[in-house]
Amino acid sequence: MVDSLKAAMAISGSGLEAQTQKMRIVSENLANAFTTGTTAGSDPYQRKTITFSSEMDKAFGVNLVKVRQIGHDGAAFVTEYDPTHIAADDKGMVKKPNVDPLLEMADMRETAHAYEANMQAMKQARDLINMAIDMMRG
Amino acid sequence: MSAITQISLLKPFADPTALSNVGSGSLTPGASSAVGEIDFGAMVKDMVNKTTTSLQNAEATSIQGIKGEASAHDVATAVMEAEQSLRMAISVRDKVVQAYLEISRMQI
Repeated sequence: MVDSLKAAMAISGSGLEAQTQKMRIVSENLANAFTTGTTAGSDPYQRKTITFSSEMDKAFGVNLVKVRQIGHDGAAFVTEYDPTHIAADDKGMVKKPNVDPLLEMADMRETAHAYEANMQAMKQARDLINMAIDMMRG
Repeated sequence: MSAITQISLLKPFADPTALSNVGSGSLTPGASSAVGEIDFGAMVKDMVNKTTTSLQNAEATSIQGIKGEASAHDVATAVMEAEQSLRMAISVRDKVVQAYLEISRMQI
């Protein structure tokens, strides 16, 4: 017999963990938004993506969220004419990363909101447990 | 890490055998091992064990958090769990002591 409220806290905890992983990917993408290749005609930084999956937890018998895969965005690179650049090919074109800072900012806000939501759920579960314990007093 | 693995105040509870005679002998003389009976001493022992374990876990996770090896929410979860166990143990203890005092005040 597992305490459902404790299980709820474990689920929220897994949600927090998943969102921190997503935040890490967003930071990585934003930081590398201008990272080009280092040799002539080479590929620049490729945008990373993250996907989640629901996973059964044996101890609690509930579905926790886990990071399924950290992949790469296959979108085409934008090219820019800059013949003096180290990564310029024979036509003077440089491949820029396929990172859109606006998209990353949107992802970041989404991550922050999801983290907050999980945090609120966890707080609520904690308060309910504490209420039950406090019922014994007084 | 080894120097701070245990909260010194909890050391008396770390050896739960000292508590094994609580309630099992005096209240029901000679019948403590009856089949189907819930042993109060064993219950207390189990609860103290669980509380000690969760407190130690919280402490270890906190230390890991300070070192940067555990995330902030891991630390928060562990500390919250320990807090709940402790509150539960204290509440049950208060109830038991209250019941004992109630009986001790009984007019004979």
